[in-house]
Amino acid sequence: MQDWISMPLVGFPLVASIVLLAFVSNTNESMRKRLSDPIRMASLLFSLILLTFTTGMFFQYFGNVSWEGISFNNYEFTHRYTWIESLGIHWTVGLDALSFPMVWLTTFLLPVTIIATWNEKNGAVYFPILLAMGGALIGVFVALDLFMFYGFWELTLIPMFFLILKWGGKDRKYASQKFFIYTFTASVVMLLGLITLYFFQDPVNPLQYAGSMTGRTFDIPTITQHALMENSNGNWYLGANIQKVLFAMLMLGFLVKLPAVPFHTWLPDAHVQAPTGGSMLLAGVMLKMGAYGMFRLPISLFPHALQYFQFVLMTIGMVSLVWGAIVCLGQTNLKKMVAYSSVSHMGVILIGIATMQPMGWAAALFMMFAHGIISPMLFAVCGAFKHHYHSMEIGAMRGMAKHSPWLATSMMFAWMASLGLPLLAGFVAELMMLIALWYFLVAEGWSVFWMVGPALVLAVTAAYYLWSMQRTIFEGGDETQPPTSLDGEPIPDIANPEKLAMIILALFTIVFGVMPWIALDMMHDWTIQIFEGLILPILGGFNGGA
Amino acid sequence: MSKLTTVEPFGDGFVSALCPELMLFAGMLLLILIPNLGRGTFRIPGTQLRLPWLLGGTRFKFTSDPRLPAWIASITLGGAFLNVLYIFSQGLERVSIVSESGKELLLVNGFSRIFELIFFGALALAAFSSMNRLQVKGIGSKVTEQELYNNRRQADFYILMVTCALGMSVVALAQDLFVLFIGLELASFSTYVLVAFLKESKVGVESGMKYFIVGSVASGVGLYGLSMLYLWAGSLQFTVLAATFAESGTTALPLIGIGFVLVGFGFKVSAAPFHFAAPDAYAGATSPVAGVLATASKAMGMIGLVRMLLIVAAPESSDGSAVWLVCLGAMAAITMTWGNLAALGSDNPKRMLAYSSVAHAGYMLAALTAVGAWNWDAAVSGDASAAAVAVMTALLFHLVVLVAFKLGAFLVLSILESEGGASRLSSLGGLAKREPLLAVAMFIFMISLAGVPPMAGFLSKLLVIMGIVRVAVGDMGAEIADGGIYALGDMHWVWWLALLMVINSAISVFYYLRVVVVMFFEEPEEGREGPLPNGWQVRVAILACVLTTVLVGIAGDSLIRLCEMAAQSLNYNW
Repeated sequence: MQDWISMPLVGFPLVASIVLLAFVSNTNESMRKRLSDPIRMASLLFSLILLTFTTGMFFQYFGNVSWEGISFNNYEFTHRYTWIESLGIHWTVGLDALSFPMVWLTTFLLPVTIIATWNEKNGAVYFPILLAMGGALIGVFVALDLFMFYGFWELTLIPMFFLILKWGGKDRKYASQKFFIYTFTASVVMLLGLITLYFFQDPVNPLQYAGSMTGRTFDIPTITQHALMENSNGNWYLGANIQKVLFAMLMLGFLVKLPAVPFHTWLPDAHVQAPTGGSMLLAGVMLKMGAYGMFRLPISLFPHALQYFQFVLMTIGMVSLVWGAIVCLGQTNLKKMVAYSSVSHMGVILIGIATMQPMGWAAALFMMFAHGIISPMLFAVCGAFKHHYHSMEIGAMRGMAKHSPWLATSMMFAWMASLGLPLLAGFVAELMMLIALWYFLVAEGWSVFWMVGPALVLAVTAAYYLWSMQRTIFEGGDETQPPTSLDGEPIPDIANPEKLAMIILALFTIVFGVMPWIALDMMHDWTIQIFEGLILPILGGFNGGA
Repeated sequence: MSKLTTVEPFGDGFVSALCPELMLFAGMLLLILIPNLGRGTFRIPGTQLRLPWLLGGTRFKFTSDPRLPAWIASITLGGAFLNVLYIFSQGLERVSIVSESGKELLLVNGFSRIFELIFFGALALAAFSSMNRLQVKGIGSKVTEQELYNNRRQADFYILMVTCALGMSVVALAQDLFVLFIGLELASFSTYVLVAFLKESKVGVESGMKYFIVGSVASGVGLYGLSMLYLWAGSLQFTVLAATFAESGTTALPLIGIGFVLVGFGFKVSAAPFHFAAPDAYAGATSPVAGVLATASKAMGMIGLVRMLLIVAAPESSDGSAVWLVCLGAMAAITMTWGNLAALGSDNPKRMLAYSSVAHAGYMLAALTAVGAWNWDAAVSGDASAAAVAVMTALLFHLVVLVAFKLGAFLVLSILESEGGASRLSSLGGLAKREPLLAVAMFIFMISLAGVPPMAGFLSKLLVIMGIVRVAVGDMGAEIADGGIYALGDMHWVWWLALLMVINSAISVFYYLRVVVVMFFEEPEEGREGPLPNGWQVRVAILACVLTTVLVGIAGDSLIRLCEMAAQSLNYNW
């Protein structure tokens, strides 16, 4: 079968971005200004091609792959090329129901981000960097080789670092470095975990795709297959002690990326300083890398350890959920508030994972997807707010409904979507998580007081969103009192490209809220598959709502 | 393994085996001769007859060009480099150069060849890009006496570069501690002078002096240890020393002697606590020379450590775990942590790179520690010899690719230096605006040093960590598959060195990123706006470094195999 992934999905955006960057690298400023228009159009065109591709994959136009019912550790569109033979490193790509929604999301967000930040300064460099970011992110999701996975994992840092550094706010220097160092530190620990895992493979039984020098392999499907065999025999893969250590090391990298309290402090800084486009991709896709990684590696390989650490994960998830929401209440900076709300929502994902229920996992997967559409809209609103009112302070602009109806409407919609209004995408995920959690608590005999957290957060989330809306959209619609930061300039509404981006995002929030099964079906199928293959043998017959 | 051929000096096969070194020797002679060619004449005594003598007198136009020595040195070193590459492509042979009394002096094998590759590559790049660095004044116009003197002096600089390469390759070839020491001193004295070469600047002389004094003390201590070893074993042959060590190695005299010898080599690799002169030397030397110190000179010290620790005080002579294991492990831990922490606080980019090279020395020492532990537990380290080869491969790979990105970073600084100083981080300010491509190159070097994929630095760090973990884990995977139960503590403690190494890599990102931030974020210093000084040679050298860094990072398989071949040829017990 044709390799629909390597070149079209990963190579194409990366190469396109390098070519475009090389093209503008030796030009002066005025030339660059003139070039920014064609380069923007080209980037939009490229990203739309990508979107067409992935959408075509979804509708089985390419490859004729049915995304529903892909069983655990089976991948579609798989291709494997030898890369560094002596170490057992291959360029292996493939998609399953876990990664495909993320890839589609990335390709969906790329053009939307380009449209939403249509007038970003120094566009001749900015848009190619967005493309590179997209390519690197897709690379993370399609990689089925530990080396390749880690490579793309770190590669995503570089374009994001430059996005924050070159187009960020006042403290961009600090924020970009903190972002880079924080996540890099966690991922090198993860790297050591991966390497230790690599060498704990049994080299005696000939491994598929093993390196000639090491006798072990970096191939994720092969490792998962071995782990699955060991685990379903009732043994702990690699033994209990090693499994726990490796689980903890891998989880550290993913928890920081997610981020979960107490590793979340890089996120507000990065978000507040990042440009709108950077924030959209950061919140929309990059955070999901953490959750994706958890499913792909520690959960798939070390289900026993997952059970062992269940309480810890549940606690971290609950703390993230509650803490993120409570901190939101105290924020005066619009973007910071949205950033903390992301922390809170990532807590939902973690709780869903910790329930070890197919429904909880499906909730986590759908939350990844839904948050990936809603949070870019939140940040697009914040970006438009900043762009037009030159301030991020919540009190800076009042009576927006009168001055800027478009922005006010978008904000209201995004806020409502994020707090989980029924019929919008976020609601589905939150409801599923609540049901799964409830089911889990009752079935496992945990204290029902765990439900206090989510219940509290529902109220707090509504409180901070409604309160901030009240202070920006409605209050004091006095036209004689424009925001102080504007210095008496006329109050504009958002520009046309921004309107278009908002409409697209809102539309898809509604689509996935009303018809969640479009994405949810394949996710739920996959979670049931992984549950039956992986968790049921461990739990020993307990059927957790499958 | 190819057959070992024994050759007497100047016997059959001598020239083909030592071809790169002989090329250097010829180049050195040419460097002395050619710039002195002129219209000199010789008067036959007692007559008025003057015969053209060609030496001295008014120089020809061609030979008076002050860039000529640079070209000769670059071509010589580059030719030697290509020659080694050619030898690699033709398949390696093992040739032993044996003296008439039957003593093995030099051994040409994969191990020595890979180091020749490092030395000649680094020095060729340095010599080529020094063309822009050493000021050439007054060509074509009237030349003052001082300028003429400065121009003439350039020949010395390049002669020293070639002798440095020669000494280094003798170290790589030596099979006798005495021969090794001669090579070491030849290379060391060349570097002392190279560091102090810009005697017009006070910093250069001061740092050269400091480097010379500390280096001499280190060499003296090493020489003392060498004499103790001679007293103990009655020979300085590595084979004899190793055999004697296996019998009676754990007595006081050889251990103290080896310890003293290690001080000498520890200084060369700038391992803590012998690294104090390194930052001063790097900061005072011209950047290409500093780059040589950080790459080739370090590789030379590494050879000494490898020979002493793995061949003489071999781990297998003491049941798998070497006697020096704990000592070297502690040294590795201290070196990498100290280097990184010190680099955090330095504002001078050259000092920063110096400390980062101390940190890299720590990583290499950690790898060496892992080799020392290769056969630590017969029960679980089943395929131990393969593990030892893997770590050694990683070490060699690291040394090879280090030339690309460490030297490359110094070459970028070299351009700034010829503009008038690169002693503060802020002098890099606005490089992205002034020369975007140069800034991108520096960015690639920095993230490669930090170990970010897909650069060569990542692959080398990955290989080192993989090697260490492999030794630490051994065959536990197979044992577990057979029902064995192991915990974290059952791994060999070198695993914790790997953990320390990744934590240190994370710390190091701080100061590497700072350079990037300054380049892309800050405005140029006053008087430093506009394009940088010209010089296509140094830019070509930087381009070569960038290409190597990226290409090896993306497709490093063949280089890994090359290094594996070299590692296998080091020790036949593996």
